Amino acid sequence: MREGGTPRGELLIMFEKTDQQLITKALQGNKQAWLNLLKRYEKQIYNYGMRMTGKNEDALDLMQEVFISVFRNLSTYRNEGSFKSWMFRIAHFRCIEFYRRKKPMQGLDDTPEIESEESSVADSIHTGQENKQLISAMQQLPLAQKSVVELKFFGQFTFDEIAEQTGISANTAKSRLYGALEKLKILMEVDYA
Amino acid sequence: MPKHESQLDGATMDKFELSNEQLFGLWVEQQLNKQQQNVFEQRCLDDKTFAKQVEMFNMFSMQSEHYQSDEVPSWDRASTFNMPEKIKWWQWQGLPTLSFATSMLAIVMVLTGLQVRTDDGAMTISFAGKYREQQSEQEIDKLVDVKLAEFQKTQQLALTNTTQTMQQQQMDASTQLTQYLLGASRKERREDFAELIKYVNEQRGDDQLFYVRQLNKLQQDIYAKPDLTSPGNINE
Repeated sequence: MREGGTPRGELLIMFEKTDQQLITKALQGNKQAWLNLLKRYEKQIYNYGMRMTGKNEDALDLMQEVFISVFRNLSTYRNEGSFKSWMFRIAHFRCIEFYRRKKPMQGLDDTPEIESEESSVADSIHTGQENKQLISAMQQLPLAQKSVVELKFFGQFTFDEIAEQTGISANTAKSRLYGALEKLKILMEVDYA
Repeated sequence: MPKHESQLDGATMDKFELSNEQLFGLWVEQQLNKQQQNVFEQRCLDDKTFAKQVEMFNMFSMQSEHYQSDEVPSWDRASTFNMPEKIKWWQWQGLPTLSFATSMLAIVMVLTGLQVRTDDGAMTISFAGKYREQQSEQEIDKLVDVKLAEFQKTQQLALTNTTQTMQQQQMDASTQLTQYLLGASRKERREDFAELIKYVNEQRGDDQLFYVRQLNKLQQDIYAKPDLTSPGNINE
């Protein structure tokens, strides 16, 4: 996933400002610093949104909401843990809000009902074929499980970090992942059948 | 901390039967100890459902690794920057007020004739030209002091010069007087000697004349009265 460490790349990393430096400058009103920080993480958040919502437009809306929220709470970031982890915690809560707004009658642990117009997420989303299958399968998981799958596989977070970000215990996170994989197994088997 | 916790969990759980979820969780986090690893492998062989879960995890993990992150479409990034931009100093709202205040101050300063001046490290603020009077007095005092000093200096110089000239004159006069006195006394003495010599010479002349007359008389007497040539008449 990470690009190879070419000499040019290493040189760029050397001169790249750290998250903390950009945050400090952004808090001082430096717009460019904030935009640099945003560009550093927007791809991750956008793709997170894609996998969580299953729609490009929703992913874009969610990303905007996440970054607005991140900026609003930037002064409360105390450099405890990584910025990425802190940002994904916010993203998780914004995602829940987004979900509740979109589907107010659906619980976090409920399996989403596949509506006729949403019958094929793969058709409506603009992304690669492999991505489509994966996103499509994820859309059929309850939000609670989907969050854990997302953070574990794509965020590369540990169960303790997932627990901290989603406000659940590590054991619950493990159990949710286990449950999610059971469902995915069925879904993927169906897809590949 | 999490690892430690998990290891503790693992240690305590070894005593009991590890559930599929717990074992799976430890495997996912790569926190299985040797004993747990054996249990895990055995479970994979014995429990097909568990093995399928592990397989599913691996497959999904592989798929997620091959997931091609989509590029972010262009969007209004700046809209997330909610902080009011730093106001430029010339856009500062207090600027008109400050401008008005400074204008008023300037007017007051002009009307009151405010003068601020720093002299010799001292700052003087004065109103209505009072400073000017004070300043002129100070300047006059200063000028007088300077002039007096100059005058004193000139006077001292002149006095010194006069004294020196007088001394010189006195010395010259004394010298002249001495020379005159010396010269005069020499001349007088010369004249006195000359007169003395003249007198002596005159006396000698007179004496010689007397003696000539006496001799002539004697001669005449001799010649006129030969009888008188006897010794007895000589004394006459």
